[in-house]
Amino acid sequence: MISAKEYDKDRFDRSKRIEWIDMDGIRNARCFVAGAGALGNEVMKCLVLSGFRDITVTDTDHVVLSNLNRCVFFKDGDVENGMKSDILAERASELDRDVRITARHDKVQDIGDWNEFDVILGCLDNISARLHVNAHAYYRDIPYIDGGTDGMMGKVQVVLPNGPCLRCAMNRTHYDVLVTRFSCTGKASAFYIPKNAAEITTTSTVAAMQVREAMKIASGCEGMCIRDMAYYNGISGETTILNIKKDNMCENHMGE
Amino acid sequence: MGIHVSVRNATLGATLKMDIAPNETVYDIIESAAEFWKKDPKAYVLRKGKSLLTATDTMMEANIMNGDVLELLPDPEGG
Ligand SMILES: [Zn+2]
Repeated sequence: MISAKEYDKDRFDRSKRIEWIDMDGIRNARCFVAGAGALGNEVMKCLVLSGFRDITVTDTDHVVLSNLNRCVFFKDGDVENGMKSDILAERASELDRDVRITARHDKVQDIGDWNEFDVILGCLDNISARLHVNAHAYYRDIPYIDGGTDGMMGKVQVVLPNGPCLRCAMNRTHYDVLVTRFSCTGKASAFYIPKNAAEITTTSTVAAMQVREAMKIASGCEGMCIRDMAYYNGISGETTILNIKKDNMCENHMGE
Repeated sequence: MGIHVSVRNATLGATLKMDIAPNETVYDIIESAAEFWKKDPKAYVLRKGKSLLTATDTMMEANIMNGDVLELLPDPEGG
């Protein structure tokens, strides 16, 4: 029998070899994952494997069959048989028993304890919920890392205190979509799922980028974060970094 | 005298030539391009090089000049 070398006895030995990574910072960061769908699954996987230990996830939905092509923690038996956030928390905890994952069933509009979080990862599927999280995060100076996918296209926008926010990058086409969604559902559901094209490779890429930004923030390296949006084209394989100007008309910056 | 720009559709790869008045806004370009390609009711943004343009900016504020090539991008909404 051979014994493992010392460096193989530390789960995070290989992570610690990356100079800027602060494992204590990552371990202590309180993460909020908004949405337990496809992005939420991939984000959770990367958070736990990266060493984050305090994670809260919320989603109002049950697992449905069409989730199974891109949600690593959901199985056939989960379909119509459990809340996404509960299953995600339970299965992701199996990756590392030291992680504490709290599952909630709240709409983001019903979250009241924003100050309990150090970093927010948006894994949402609609503009209304994004704008809500964006406003709360910006108001409280909590870094917000928003992910989005559309078929083979994806984006990650990092909203840091005093920087441009999600709303700064939006225009009337976003509000037209928001109104359409509202009239389709008859209510401003936080987790209404439009039937967008979605597949795992784009989701996985975007989620990994989101978690890498969370690692930078938790490691005290905000200066290394994406400024301000990474736009991923899965067909060409290109990722373009786009700068966003703070919009004077954006209501989140009034009085600054 | 308008400003001549090309707008590339990131999804289709097609390009549209447009003549924009200096007092028109970035949103006017987004709206016209989306209408031209009869896009689904989706959210779109417009970029010039490494800058995502602010929708309320005029051509001058956005520093859009004759010959610029802009790109219309769908803003991914799914999660
Ligand atoms: Zn803003």
